Amino acid sequence: MTAAKVSKPKASLPSARPPYLGFGLGLRPQHYTDIIEGSPDVDWFEVISENYMVPGGQPLRMLDKIRARYPIVMHGVSLSIASTAPFNAQYLSDLKALAERIEPRFVSDHLCWTGVHGVNLHDLLPIPYTREALDHVVARIDHVQEYLQRPIAIENVSTYIQFAHSEMPEWEFISELTRRTGCWLVFDVNNGFVSAFNHGWDAQAFIEGIPADRVVQFHLAGHEHNMSHIIDTHDALVPDEVWDLYRAAVERFGPVSTIIERDDDIPPLADLVAELATARSIAEDMLPELRKRRAS
Amino acid sequence: MTRPSPSRTSPPTLREIEAQLQAAILTGDDTVLAALADGAHASRDTLLGVYRQAYTARLIEVLMSDYPLLRSYVGDVVFRELAHSFIAAHPSRSQNVRWFGTPFPEFLKEQGSAAKHPALAEIAAIERSVSDAFDCIDAPVLGFDDLAAYPPEEWARLTFSLHPSVTFMPAATNAFHIWKALNEQETPPRGVCLPIPEHVVVWRYGATPKVRLMMEEEAMIGREARRGASFGTLCEMLAIYADPDSAPARAAGYLQAWLTNEMLTSAKVVARNRRAHLARRAAPSSSSA
Repeated sequence: MTAAKVSKPKASLPSARPPYLGFGLGLRPQHYTDIIEGSPDVDWFEVISENYMVPGGQPLRMLDKIRARYPIVMHGVSLSIASTAPFNAQYLSDLKALAERIEPRFVSDHLCWTGVHGVNLHDLLPIPYTREALDHVVARIDHVQEYLQRPIAIENVSTYIQFAHSEMPEWEFISELTRRTGCWLVFDVNNGFVSAFNHGWDAQAFIEGIPADRVVQFHLAGHEHNMSHIIDTHDALVPDEVWDLYRAAVERFGPVSTIIERDDDIPPLADLVAELATARSIAEDMLPELRKRRAS
Repeated sequence: MTRPSPSRTSPPTLREIEAQLQAAILTGDDTVLAALADGAHASRDTLLGVYRQAYTARLIEVLMSDYPLLRSYVGDVVFRELAHSFIAAHPSRSQNVRWFGTPFPEFLKEQGSAAKHPALAEIAAIERSVSDAFDCIDAPVLGFDDLAAYPPEEWARLTFSLHPSVTFMPAATNAFHIWKALNEQETPPRGVCLPIPEHVVVWRYGATPKVRLMMEEEAMIGREARRGASFGTLCEMLAIYADPDSAPARAAGYLQAWLTNEMLTSAKVVARNRRAHLARRAAPSSSSA
């Protein structure tokens, strides 16, 4: 990599760090009524962008109601930022239209690809951490940020395979991405734990390896442990070992907007709010200023 | 980290890796294994298998979620077989998984075992239309007051825009009755072909998709209304179809039902005839010349 290839974040894009939002949940349709009719102890909601990239109807009506009362973050699963296929222009246009409609605090997606050759596998697929891949993803993030006219945040995914020709660890790849594009980072604590176990990394090294000032959100979730490997299911309670890693993340990154992200086996809203209270309690015990900030 | 013995000097490019991994997932091709390292506790074959299994499992789940009543009708085992065949024949071309299952009803019409039971494709088509009506584009709703603003002499020339959620579906089988029973958690009848086709309409009322049967003549004029036929033309069609004396009353009845059901978005009066309409449009440009 030569200095000449390093592109700087575009001066025209906003550079202010997205605001600290507190403790939130992934918005799921099962909870619409409880959220609209009640006042759950949730500071903000993260929406799956694609669920609202639809022509109209109930999903957008519900989102309009909820965004009137809560800050919203858009989190996509189909940007396919690392794909070598051309961008889907309609997808980008729909993403931008949704962002203009709901004015999210920030927009995020994953460091992955979802398909090539016109096919979409609807999975968050891994890449080799090579300089070639880095240049490619940097160019794609630049393009998306320019198109959306805002910096995006990129999340680490759970990976099961790793490529023998990778030239750097994932955290170094991610650090270079944010340095060269100005993108922000979502650190999914569970994904970090899953990948570290599957590949024999030290999860703490991941936390130490990414720049603290670029992490704007934590995801917390559960997984399925198969002894020889862990599968990221996001369908269970946050396990103890992920809570431990969360403590390490809070210590390293400080106050960071946090959500419980449940994608399957969705429990009643009250159960998730209770689990969120655990996250809040851990962070507030470690960072007493958060408790004071909430009290004020 | 166990490194596979390299079969070439330069490492694969990102483009090559993505093509190989996609082929591994879609077709079982093992080429990508040469580029993988073993995991800390499991072999690369096992770990690659996680992606292969997840691909099919995820898309079956999407189809189950999109077609819950068909699944309940045929049972899990048969549904999974149909889903497997569909997934193999129709890799997703949509960026948003919301539309992955759109071709499923058409697939069932052609697919060997399902094609022998044509009610299955029609049940799936109703479920698909219900999903599409749910998040269909929003549009205004035409009210009785809006129509009352038109003087009686203009009614024959009124044309209507149907709500974009309205879908007319001819049914050669008793799919509607099966769908309705399943939807109401009652025992569905056996699928049979009907001597005379039925006409199903799906639309959105408020935020809720609705499904009902239409008389053949109502479906006929509904389709023609969508194509831009005027109210006068619709009355003439009804007069030809059945008792001419009651045609205006039947047309008014259907129109009232469409209004009550929020199936119309707007009305407008068309010009008396196209030639006159064109002449009026042409006039300003000639005068300005």
